[in-house]
Amino acid sequence: MQARDIAVQVPTVTLEDSVATAVRVMALGRLPGLIVVDGQRRPRLVLPGTQVLRMAVPRAYQDDPALARAVDEAHADLFWEELNGLTVGDCVVRGVGRLTSVRPDATLLEVAALMARLRSPLVAVVEDHALLGAVTLDRLVGSLALAGPPGE
Amino acid sequence: MTGILALSLFVVAISFIATEKVDKVKVVLVTAGIMIVLGLAPGSEVFFSEHEGIDWNVIFLLLGMMIIVGIVKQTGIFDYLAIWAAKRSQGRPYRLMVMLMAITAIASPFLDNVTTIMLVVPVTVVVCKRLGIPAQPYIIAEVLASNIGGASTLIGDPPNIIIGSRAGLSFNDFLVHMTPIVVITFVAFVLLTRVMFRKSFQYNPERAAEIMALQERRAITDTKLLFRCLTVLALVILAFSLHSVLHLEPSIVALVGAGVMLLVTKADVHDVLEEVEWPTLVFFAGLFVMVAGLANTGVIETAGSWAIETFSDSPLAAATSLLFGSAVLGAFFDNIPYTATMAPIVEEVVAQMPDADTGQALWWAFALGADFGGNGTAIAASANVVALGIAAQTGQRISFWEFTRYGIIVTVLSTLMAWVYVYLRYFT
Repeated sequence: MQARDIAVQVPTVTLEDSVATAVRVMALGRLPGLIVVDGQRRPRLVLPGTQVLRMAVPRAYQDDPALARAVDEAHADLFWEELNGLTVGDCVVRGVGRLTSVRPDATLLEVAALMARLRSPLVAVVEDHALLGAVTLDRLVGSLALAGPPGE
Repeated sequence: MTGILALSLFVVAISFIATEKVDKVKVVLVTAGIMIVLGLAPGSEVFFSEHEGIDWNVIFLLLGMMIIVGIVKQTGIFDYLAIWAAKRSQGRPYRLMVMLMAITAIASPFLDNVTTIMLVVPVTVVVCKRLGIPAQPYIIAEVLASNIGGASTLIGDPPNIIIGSRAGLSFNDFLVHMTPIVVITFVAFVLLTRVMFRKSFQYNPERAAEIMALQERRAITDTKLLFRCLTVLALVILAFSLHSVLHLEPSIVALVGAGVMLLVTKADVHDVLEEVEWPTLVFFAGLFVMVAGLANTGVIETAGSWAIETFSDSPLAAATSLLFGSAVLGAFFDNIPYTATMAPIVEEVVAQMPDADTGQALWWAFALGADFGGNGTAIAASANVVALGIAAQTGQRISFWEFTRYGIIVTVLSTLMAWVYVYLRYFT
């Protein structure tokens, strides 16, 4: 099997979208991450779910776990409100994410190796700079299990 | 000819650093490399000559303290203290500002200013948001307090580390000569903030209850770790102050302290080493090579001779020029490269002074000017740049001029007070 065989269509976000929108898109689509595209729908980068979270959690709490502990439960649930209109583009400048992609003819081994190496549960399938779809970790593992040796 | 070439390279590099158009570490490494390749800096001597090459005392003192601070900050003590202060202030803005400034000024002499700011500013933003007041005045006040407080010890501010190493001044020398004026200046600064930020002090009693919900006790999860860290830190400071008995260089004390801290806290070495600001250490090394290039080609000697000719008859004029000149130049350039460049020139002038005490007075004038100049503008010290960065990330943007208009006032006040102190203590 090749990447094109197991690729699925996924919703994307742009650099201009707010981080809150990005989180919402990921949550509603039940995605393990997000693909960020430019105005021409060309993929710019792939953000694993944890990196989307990294954009959403105020930096101060990430750098200082003691400060996060000191916030009471009621306010802790509302940390989203501190995003202050931050966009995906603002966070990309700070070095979050990279373009994790394969060609449509990549084998499942290539996709699996890339996911493992870059710790990304989402890989964009790209041809001639155009986004054809994405391979998710679920989809890859499912396909590998189905293609596994009989009797196991 | 080589002197002109070295000076030209140096000036170009400093202008790149000042304008921040290129990463400053890249700038010093490239310039240092060019100076060595062209034979302007003294080849392999840059690694082995303390005064005409890389000053490893400075670099290893910084490394040791960065490791110590990297472990101490994991204890959550700063978050605890800042929230405790906020609660004690009961949300009254000026009281809150004074308490936060006091915490910053007391921590700065023992931890580096950048770390202190990185620990105090985020919790300040949280507290101010709860109180529904802008955090900018508090952040600016903390940075200014940090630069003032850091001036009081050998390890409190990078210019002091450079000056201490070059002049052979001990931790106690700094305590005896710098701490009195720093305390006086800080008190004056606290009073000044009442006027400077008067429009920001709006008390909102309904919001004050919000900060009482913060749980400062949860910030400290490991009291044993905290106790061990504070004990080792206290021993390190004690060892600094026992220099005349132990005869250990500050860098050795810091490195041994860092090792002991790693042992007793069982901190993960790799995690702790990630806290070390390696680019800063490399920046220092490159900077020392650049200054070695100036020394090797006679630029420092020429500048020193000119300074001696101009000021040898009047040590007070020399001290005055050093103090005000350093404050002005230190305000517009990063005060670290400024101090590294000027230190060998000051050393030449000090050597020509009629007695050792007068010579030492020049070092104190130099240190006070460079340290207090760090408050002058938003780019004058690393702590200022870091604070503005954190403020922007938290949506509390502070512009260059917003910081600088307060910084200039504080720099003028503190420098004038420092001059009066130097004059009264060393020249009457």
